Amino acid sequence: MAPRFKTLALGATPLLLAGCSGELSTLDPAGPRAANLAVLWWVMLAGSVLLFAIVMVLFALAYLRTAWVTRITPAQWIIGGGLVLPIPVLVLLTGTALVLGEQLLPRGNAPIRIEAHAERWLWTFTYPDGHAVPDQTLHMPAGQPVDIVVTAEDVIHAFWVPRLGGKIDAIPGHTNVVRLEADKPGVYWGQCAEYCGEGHDGMQFRVEAHTTEEFAALMQGASH
Amino acid sequence: MSQGTRHGLVRLVAGFAIWSIAFIVLYAAQALGCAYGWGAWHRPVLIVIYLFALAPLIWLSTRPRPDGTDAILPTAARWANRAALLASVLVFLPVTFASLCA
Amino acid sequence: MSEYPSPIRLHKQLDAIWRTPPGLARLSSVNHTILGKRFMVLALVFFAIGGLLSMLIRAQLATPNSAFLGPEIYNQVFTMHGTVMMFLFAIPMFEGFAIYMLPKLLGARDLAFPRLTAYGFWCYLFGGSILIVAMLVGLAPNGGWFMYTPLSSRPYTPGINADVWLLGITFVEISAVTAAVELFVTILKMRAPGMALHRMPLFAWYMLVTAGMMIIGFPPLILGSILLELERAFDLPFFDPTRGGDPLLWQHLFWLFGHPEVYIIFLPAAGALSTIIPVFAQRPILGYRAIIAAIVAMAFLSFGLWVHHMFTVGIPHLALAFFSAASALVAIPTAVQIFAWIGTLASGRPRWDIPMLYIAGFFIVFVIGGLTGVMLAMVPFNTQAHDSYFVVAHLHYVLVGGFVFPMLAAIYHWLPHVSGRQSLYRLSVPAFWLILIGFNLTFFLMHLTGLMGMPRRISTYPSNWGWDWLNLLSSVGSFVLTIGFALVLADLVLQFRFGARFRRDPWQAGTLEWATATPPPTYNFASLPRIETRADQLHPGEIGPMLAGGGGYLGFARNGAQETLAVDIATGAVEHLIALPRRSYLPLWTAMATASFFLALLFKLYWLAPLGALATIALFLVWPVGLGAKVDRGPVDIGRGEAVPHDVEVPGNVTILANRTALVMDGTLFASLLFGGLFLLVVAPNWQRVGPLDLPIWLGILAALASGAGAGCTYVAGRVNRFGGSAYLLLLAAAIAQAMATILFVALMIAIPEPTAHAQRAVVFTGLGYAALHCALAALLASHGLWRMIMGYVSARRQTGLVLAWLWNGYALGVAILVLGLAWLLGNSGAGA
Repeated sequence: MAPRFKTLALGATPLLLAGCSGELSTLDPAGPRAANLAVLWWVMLAGSVLLFAIVMVLFALAYLRTAWVTRITPAQWIIGGGLVLPIPVLVLLTGTALVLGEQLLPRGNAPIRIEAHAERWLWTFTYPDGHAVPDQTLHMPAGQPVDIVVTAEDVIHAFWVPRLGGKIDAIPGHTNVVRLEADKPGVYWGQCAEYCGEGHDGMQFRVEAHTTEEFAALMQGASH
Repeated sequence: MSQGTRHGLVRLVAGFAIWSIAFIVLYAAQALGCAYGWGAWHRPVLIVIYLFALAPLIWLSTRPRPDGTDAILPTAARWANRAALLASVLVFLPVTFASLCA
Repeated sequence: MSEYPSPIRLHKQLDAIWRTPPGLARLSSVNHTILGKRFMVLALVFFAIGGLLSMLIRAQLATPNSAFLGPEIYNQVFTMHGTVMMFLFAIPMFEGFAIYMLPKLLGARDLAFPRLTAYGFWCYLFGGSILIVAMLVGLAPNGGWFMYTPLSSRPYTPGINADVWLLGITFVEISAVTAAVELFVTILKMRAPGMALHRMPLFAWYMLVTAGMMIIGFPPLILGSILLELERAFDLPFFDPTRGGDPLLWQHLFWLFGHPEVYIIFLPAAGALSTIIPVFAQRPILGYRAIIAAIVAMAFLSFGLWVHHMFTVGIPHLALAFFSAASALVAIPTAVQIFAWIGTLASGRPRWDIPMLYIAGFFIVFVIGGLTGVMLAMVPFNTQAHDSYFVVAHLHYVLVGGFVFPMLAAIYHWLPHVSGRQSLYRLSVPAFWLILIGFNLTFFLMHLTGLMGMPRRISTYPSNWGWDWLNLLSSVGSFVLTIGFALVLADLVLQFRFGARFRRDPWQAGTLEWATATPPPTYNFASLPRIETRADQLHPGEIGPMLAGGGGYLGFARNGAQETLAVDIATGAVEHLIALPRRSYLPLWTAMATASFFLALLFKLYWLAPLGALATIALFLVWPVGLGAKVDRGPVDIGRGEAVPHDVEVPGNVTILANRTALVMDGTLFASLLFGGLFLLVVAPNWQRVGPLDLPIWLGILAALASGAGAGCTYVAGRVNRFGGSAYLLLLAAAIAQAMATILFVALMIAIPEPTAHAQRAVVFTGLGYAALHCALAALLASHGLWRMIMGYVSARRQTGLVLAWLWNGYALGVAILVLGLAWLLGNSGAGA
């Protein structure tokens, strides 16, 4: 399933306006999970443009008093426009989104679990076996799914690396998990998405995806 | 006459009232099942509630067509109840497949 | 017709009864036309304030690394922008619109409880002023308009800011509560004779459903605000996860209100559209029955999608699926309405005019908002778009498209009714284009800004994320938008000053409000019409003069009484005569007493707050003094050869219906409290180690028995009275029993050791407090019944006082039993979970 979405995403790439790329852009995905979400967006956008056009054209035709529009009966307006048009679209879309949502759940155990702990206004990352890397950067291996275990110290924050996947809230008293994956090694950016007070603006963090070997080496060298 | 039409106002909201109750019961059962570990029983319980909710809605939606010039409210009620049936079928359908506690 | 006085004489006689004198006496007005206008003008003032705040936001965000405001002020500004627009503009605006419009549309002379309208207005004014004054002194709320805990809890907002929000907004919500009850009752009971439910104009249907939604939708927010204020003021932990609370409880309570709220705002606007569009299509609305079914469906579905604001909080996928599907499905009744409107235009003979221009704007903007709403309902996409500028764009498309554009159409449509003058149009057209272009420039780009990763509520951003040009263009657009609104304002002022006068019904509309003279007289209709067809296909131009000449019901002035009619809920058959209370300063005094209660809490003068509450209750007890009747009068003449009894002699009168409605509302608040307790028990962290709560069971049993005795006595008192017996002693016994129950519940509260130690104790403590309060209210209502009886207002036919006593006593008993059940369940939770 995932590779097919990826080809779709690649196919959609030429559509991207130059302005859509960016270090925090959801439209510039850098991993299969974010790519799925971007495809969902482009599909919904196309459908929406079509539906919007239909409504606007009908509204215009009502005023132009085109003959066939004036002949549409009340029942046809209500049943055609109100039921036949939206119901299949909505059922199909919601069904697809739910299936996709199931696939994106962090099910089973990903090989690597990294803890992200939010407090006003910084993130602390802890690696398997209690390793810590003291540079305010989330290190992760590229090319494989990674589970991020998100918790909060004080108020609600949200963990969001737009190019690698969706966001999840960091809520005091709760533990949430989000699964991310980067296609290639590189530097990505993340930020706090839930308003958390005066320092909310500055709560961004660096994400560095490494090759598997580099990541293993980094963990070796990390302090306990 | 008065009682009959007032009954119509009740019928107008009857279907969606059932939908609301089913929504609350299903949402509660989902939460309780996760909190108290119903395990393998969890999904069957939800499906049974789902089917139980559909029964009265099907009955409401298949009542004979109202007639007469005064049938405006009963007709609106009939459509509202059918909408409630559709909403129940679709909104609660995920009990059959979605992840229960994750 | 010769038996009737001339229209002019009739006008003078009626006006003398209904008018509000000039000068300071204006403060005593209870007239729905005057108060509706006051609500709308004040709402527009707040709209201007909220608009200015949004200009500050856009000025700050126009460029990266801006130091114009700084986070501290910026946080107050965006919080106040959202709060002002939602609570001080949108809700009061449609309330004012409905207050002004409904009696005229339904063929009544005023709303069911004129003094309550006035009280609601004063609460709105005072509560809104608290927020604005706080902002001017730099102490405005700064936790975002949805005030998420724990950020808004005391440790993270130690100042008064959050209290200003919680208390100010709750104070304002009183006006929403009173309006909801009043509009609901008015639509059901106070229509022109013959206007059966299925003949009501659609706007009345929309407002009936809206009022019903407010009755269920507002209590969760009010409860949430009370709980959070209790936590902030007295450290009772409902939302503190370290002591068994849960921040998510706040989110559930807030959005349980907050999402229906969007539809509560949209439905009145849609009602206006359903009224205006047929006028400009020059044919009746298409799909009357389908629209009724659609608004019912929308109302219910809108209560099943609050969690779509919480898709990223970590709720199991199945639960998300329910809410996701419901959020998608709510698009269907919306589509039914959209196509009914387009179909109406298509099959009529549509003409253009300024209102239609704004309706075209509505279609463009609202449809986009609806489509992005369906996108956001999809859980996977939501995890990217949530809390980003995409949501900011979406919500403005929905609220401006679904409320502001229709309201502008409504203003241009009905302003001639208010002012008695026609529009000038010189500024209207350029204003429309500035608004439409400015709006889309500002907010359409925000979709992209959000998808490019810009989160909400950041006060500034660095230059490297690619958001610079988008933000700059949005800021430019917002200034264009503001110029458009300024032009509309100028246009309205000019119309009042220079517009041409006209006779009745300038648009050839088919609804009753155009049958009044314009501007409308104080009493609306000199006589009330009989409705034989659907009430949106009338001929106001013909009905109006007939009514003004006294040709309908009640075409006379009698005993200086403000008379109007009530009908059977379903059939619209005339049922009874209502004599409305005259103008009074009591609403103002009562609102001032209420203000003293809220201000005392705000400034932490906790000794003063109970005095304010008692003063409010004491003043409310003065309201019914002098109302009612001391003798049975039987049917009285209402004109056209018919006679009906007075309201006090009818069991289904508006007072009783309003109290039943208020109890439903109160019951929803209570249900939200029960939900809160059970939610914490099942979901919240830190409930494993909590020990059982040992309370003296015998105290609880005694309290329930006492409350039960009170309820039983009032029930028997009602029956005894109906059969002509004496109920004095029964009511006295009921009052004493409920007073005892109150004392016992307070004793139980005192018996809880350290209620601040854990949410388990805090919830039980609060529940017992709620029970104590309602037993006290029951005692009060029983005493009130007794007092009315002693004063001679009660007879076998005039039983309102006794019915009210029974209603509130029965409710208190129900509360007592359920609260004890909750206490037992939570009290033993340590062992179970």
